Amino acid sequence: MNAFLIWVETSALSVWVRESPSVFAFPIILSFHTIGMGFLAGMNAAIALRILGFAPRVPLLEARRVFPVLWAGFWLNALSGVVLLVAYPTKALTNPMFYFKLTCVALGLVVQTVIRRSILADASKDADYFPPMSGKLLALASLLLWAAVITSGRLLAYTYVKLTTI
Amino acid sequence: MALFQMWVVKTLFSVKIVSTFMHSAWGWPICESIHFLGLSLLVGTIATFDLRLLGFARNVSIAALHRLVPWGVFGYLLNVSTGAMFLFTEPNQYIYNPAFQFKLTFMAIAGLNILAFYSLLYGRLKKTGPGADAPRGAKLVAVVSLSVWIAVIICGRLLTFYRPGDCDLKDAGFVATCIPHVRP
Repeated sequence: MNAFLIWVETSALSVWVRESPSVFAFPIILSFHTIGMGFLAGMNAAIALRILGFAPRVPLLEARRVFPVLWAGFWLNALSGVVLLVAYPTKALTNPMFYFKLTCVALGLVVQTVIRRSILADASKDADYFPPMSGKLLALASLLLWAAVITSGRLLAYTYVKLTTI
Repeated sequence: MALFQMWVVKTLFSVKIVSTFMHSAWGWPICESIHFLGLSLLVGTIATFDLRLLGFARNVSIAALHRLVPWGVFGYLLNVSTGAMFLFTEPNQYIYNPAFQFKLTFMAIAGLNILAFYSLLYGRLKKTGPGADAPRGAKLVAVVSLSVWIAVIICGRLLTFYRPGDCDLKDAGFVATCIPHVRP
């Protein structure tokens, strides 16, 4: 494990992100990660709020239109997240909070897929259509899971045990 | 301006109750987490509305989607409250920070943009139905909104990168981007 962490931490990309004084290294990658978060978790929340009954006159079938933007946010974060992980592998991989965050991301994606394939696909084209209680529970679960992702991600800065191995 | 900034910092420092909470073990991390949740609510609802103005999901009426805007306002209020708590705790680190100065500027542009939208455009837009195309002015407002909020996020993340150092007041310049001290 240590050999692997050292191998990653001595790679050119890792050293550059960690040590470059350029604003386009660590600070901008972190900014991308935050922008992607806003689009991914935020638009997910917008869909969940509609399912819960806010903005009732938005036809649920149309809610699916935000998915391309939401997915752009996801991929921006997957990519920037991997770069941040390459920069500080020890910091993330030795912190249980990081695994909790990834678990919540995975569960969030599963719940989102279920919502998209069931509630949003079966929904009537009409405005003022409300899904059954099970749909609302899924929406609530989705809101909570992405809130947990954001909170645990934020707490990574406070709960790590070791910054680097090298 | 530098003297005004010093006065603001002194005034913010005089409020002790906020910084006592913020310096407790979980004060700062809790507020940061809420700040990021608020950010997501704001971006998720407002960017979705902006995209509709630009022609996305045209079958949704503008007024119907506008019902999500209060959630964006709620996110904004969460962020102003938690942001104020950071500011009261470490005023030096914000008032003299160029990233914070740019962040406030972008937030002011966002405010003017919102004012322009509601005073000039929304009255007519809310009466339109599904399928309606927003006029060019509304599209401009949407582009400004999207760009400015993204700029606000970037400035927020650059705060720690542009932490101000100490300097002499006479070297501080018109807008101080370092912590000025008066040397005897």
